[in-house]
Amino acid sequence: MSETYDFLFKFLVIGSAGTGKSCLLHQFIENKFKQDSNHTIGVEFGSRVVNVGGKTVKLQIWDTAGQERFRSVTRSYYRGAAGALLVYDITSRETYNALTNWLTDARTLASPNIVIILCGNKKDLDADREVTFLEASRFAQENELMFMETSALTGENVEEGFLKCARTILNKIESGELDPERMGSGIQYGDASLRQLRQPRGSTAQTKQQCNC
Amino acid sequence: MMERAMEQLNVQLNRLTRSLRRARTVELPEDNETAVYTLMPMVMADQHRSVSELLLNSKFDVNYAFGRVKRSLLHIAANCGSVECLVLLLKRGANPNYQDISGCTPLHLAARNGQKKCMGRLLEYNADVNICNNEGLTAIHWLAVNGRTELLHDLVQHVSNVDVEDAMGQTALHVACQNGHKTTVLCLLDSGADINRPNVSGATPLYFACSHGQRDTAQILLLRGAKYLPDKNGVTPLDLCVQGGYGETCEILIQHHGRLFQTLIQMTQNDDLKESMLRQVLEHVSQQNDSNYQRILISLAEVGTTNGHKLLSLSSNYEAQMKSLLRIVRIFCHVFRLGPSSPNTGIDLAYNGNKTPRSQVFKPLELLWHSLDEWLVLISTELEKKCGDITSTSPGSDIASLFLKQREAGPSIVADTPDLLSSSLDPEVMMKSPEAYVDGQDVISMTANRLSAVIQAFYMCCSCQMPQGMTSPCFIEFVCKHDEVLKCFVTRNPKIIFNHFHFLLECPELMSRFMHIIKGQPFKDRCEWFYEHLLAGQPDSDMVHRPVNENDILLIHRESIFRSSCEVVSKFTNEKLKQGIAVRFHGEEGMGQGVVREWFDILSNEIINPDYALFTQSADGTTFQPNSNSSVNPDHLNYFRFAGQILGLALYHRQLVNIYFTRSFYKHILGIPVNYQDVSSIDPEYAKNLQWILDNDISDLGLELTFSVETDVFGAMEEVPLKPGGTSIQVTQDNKAEYVQLVTELRMTRAIQPQINAFLQGFHTFIPPSLIQLFDEYELRNTEYTSGYDLEEPVIQWFWDVVEGLTQEERVLLLQFVTGSSRVPHGGFAFLMGGSGLQKFTIAAVPYTSNLLPTSSTCINMLKLPEYPSKDVLRDRLLVALHCGSYGYTMA
Repeated sequence: MSETYDFLFKFLVIGSAGTGKSCLLHQFIENKFKQDSNHTIGVEFGSRVVNVGGKTVKLQIWDTAGQERFRSVTRSYYRGAAGALLVYDITSRETYNALTNWLTDARTLASPNIVIILCGNKKDLDADREVTFLEASRFAQENELMFMETSALTGENVEEGFLKCARTILNKIESGELDPERMGSGIQYGDASLRQLRQPRGSTAQTKQQCNC
Repeated sequence: MMERAMEQLNVQLNRLTRSLRRARTVELPEDNETAVYTLMPMVMADQHRSVSELLLNSKFDVNYAFGRVKRSLLHIAANCGSVECLVLLLKRGANPNYQDISGCTPLHLAARNGQKKCMGRLLEYNADVNICNNEGLTAIHWLAVNGRTELLHDLVQHVSNVDVEDAMGQTALHVACQNGHKTTVLCLLDSGADINRPNVSGATPLYFACSHGQRDTAQILLLRGAKYLPDKNGVTPLDLCVQGGYGETCEILIQHHGRLFQTLIQMTQNDDLKESMLRQVLEHVSQQNDSNYQRILISLAEVGTTNGHKLLSLSSNYEAQMKSLLRIVRIFCHVFRLGPSSPNTGIDLAYNGNKTPRSQVFKPLELLWHSLDEWLVLISTELEKKCGDITSTSPGSDIASLFLKQREAGPSIVADTPDLLSSSLDPEVMMKSPEAYVDGQDVISMTANRLSAVIQAFYMCCSCQMPQGMTSPCFIEFVCKHDEVLKCFVTRNPKIIFNHFHFLLECPELMSRFMHIIKGQPFKDRCEWFYEHLLAGQPDSDMVHRPVNENDILLIHRESIFRSSCEVVSKFTNEKLKQGIAVRFHGEEGMGQGVVREWFDILSNEIINPDYALFTQSADGTTFQPNSNSSVNPDHLNYFRFAGQILGLALYHRQLVNIYFTRSFYKHILGIPVNYQDVSSIDPEYAKNLQWILDNDISDLGLELTFSVETDVFGAMEEVPLKPGGTSIQVTQDNKAEYVQLVTELRMTRAIQPQINAFLQGFHTFIPPSLIQLFDEYELRNTEYTSGYDLEEPVIQWFWDVVEGLTQEERVLLLQFVTGSSRVPHGGFAFLMGGSGLQKFTIAAVPYTSNLLPTSSTCINMLKLPEYPSKDVLRDRLLVALHCGSYGYTMA
């Protein structure tokens, strides 16, 4: 039978090739480090149901290839994403330099409202660091991104990254900033949400009428 | 002494007369068992006076239980509604709560049968309404099952627990809901029944209402605040509605629980659910109002897009995602084609051209088509790279070689060509490019199947916006754009054509691009594809079914089989004939597969009967082609059309026909041009002459040939030009090839063009030209003789010994006797068809009585062979049966 959840969020994982996007996803879903990781071909898919702030949320995650030759293909998956993990490699300045391009793509192709969290991956390789935490957090602030450094190898901050992004989206839904009913919002209601719903108001009145018979 | 004897005699006489007058005994027998059977019929007929009279002075135990189920007479009275007897028995002390072997009290039986008065009286005598039978059922359960609301209303006041459960934990409300008794449900609810009560498996009243599609009952429950609860296995009421295809009940659920709409849509991804049921439900919901229609389509499009994208993820399960995508898109297209419930409510007028809101529903899918397009572009780039790798020695041939050059030259060139590469390319790619090229090949092989499935989905979506039978220009453009990639796909894996490229069959322009690959595939695969497509969209793809309706039977006169078949077939719609054929010969009883086969068999012999002058024999005497002089028969073109219909119909239903046509005629059916070699089938000598002309220099022979021929039209010679002004054009060495071609066309085609056209017109009503072109002229006349006999049973051994001793002719008779057809089916004996699909040749043993002949059931290809005492008797009887009884059906 179908899984029950309150919401379904569509997520993207984007960033240059070799930054560890697939490993992040694998770590998040399987709780393991993916040893022999190849370049992703096109776009891969993963999903996990998580509990955020008392709500069950199914994350539908599209893990994109970072290689340039797939860029056109991966771009076609952007539309209708509610959240994104923008990943760079802290040991590769080039992947950091490419962030602006990725960000522009996400903001223009996905949705202006897309919630993005910047992930400086490979936190475990601190010795080879080419991008400082401060520098990246400044970049995140300027571009209104959330930010954390992660390690797909140790699992540090991986779960937190996905959850933080999901929580922000949930908050925006609750504050009315995001409308899940809007087409292309990347958010869907699940089956479970009806448990919290009360009976429609009109029905009580009708019940009373029928009781008289 | 005498007096006493007299008195006794008087009493006896009195008894006798009374008994005779009443036509029954007047005294109850002593023992209870005999007595009870005397009383029972009277109780059943409520003959209370008689019962009362008989019981008056007897010692009969009114609670005596009898019969298999150990019921008392009170049970009988309650069951039959014999209220007077019931009261009588109660007055005489019958126990109102006496339980029979199944634990049922008289009240149970009265309730089950709705015996209102009996119930009332039983209650007066303190019958206990709360007693459960062995299954835990109480009187209110019985009333609820049958929806006896009025009785329930009376009874329920006496019930201590309206939610009393049976052995399965089912309450009266559960059973009332299952059966959809609205007033009963209301009555129980008003009496305080628990609306959310689960049974042992967790099923609630709403669950039961949904599982049986009780729309109104579900409505009542939901209005009264029933909770939407799954059972212990997680099966929800919505699941049940969809499984049963109960659209109306689904609609009610969605009205009350709006979120279920999404759940319903998500169900299209569930492989366990029957597609037809799901489609039925979505169809119903979409037809409620325009907004539902739009919402369903948009949501389906969204789900389809997600599924398509998942399919394009290489780590996903290809089979599962592919099926899921195609199922969703099929349902989507189906609902879309139906249109909104209120068409043309100004919607189409509000916008120009194709920008109507109706086409808006395709919007979400555009994402998928966009990805598909990008993928194909990517593949095409990969293909170029592959070529580039091979030809990398020639500098600058394409982008790939540019890459190679750069790698050799080092980073300095990158600086020289910044616009070309650095800005758009990821530095990572530059560094890892050798590795990236290695998997270029793999990308194609890994994605070809998946992309092809998405292409199929794309085609379906394109087509459902077009009138039936038209290919969308959008799609043609798409195929043209990606021509190279698609060809690469099917060259690598031709199965893709059969699995996903069904569009080819509907679009000849596109088909021709792939024809050479298709023709290279095994006959069997093409055959399967042919039938799969031919029968697609037919409600029941069960070959030939037996129509229930008497009007759907083709009633044929055996003695004028050709004419009467022609008349009867013309009265039927093509759609009906496609659904199935049932034939009955006038004055015979037999019907079914065997008769249908025999009909095709005899009819095909009649079509080539020289008396009708429709077909002429070829030179070798075994093949036929239309007779150019068939116009002696004024109706000839109608008959040709009929012949075409019969052949098309036979092919459609996989039936055999007993005609071999000339190769050239098969070519006409296939739309393949004829050549001079085909002439040999009708005139081998002339064909040799044509060959000779082609092989030799004719310049100096003085043949004096012009582009014309003389033909004999019923004895008169006429000069027919082969082309305009042909009579004055000389045939020379230079134009002799044209001459041969034209003269061939004249002999093979032009002379019988009207006949061919009429035949094809009939043929194409059942077999679309696009489909038949899957085959060549040799395959079309496909017949193979194979047999798969089993020689294990010792009894059967004789039979086969006898068969071996039969002449060829007798064997044909045997085959006809058993199967109704003198031919082995397409694909051999293994494909012998029965009324309900494949049915092997079988032999059934029947007990032997002297002189009994073998009989057969042709629908199931069964020979009923009596267990003869010896091989000789068997041979004798079999031959008698074969020679006398191979035609004509009577019920055996």
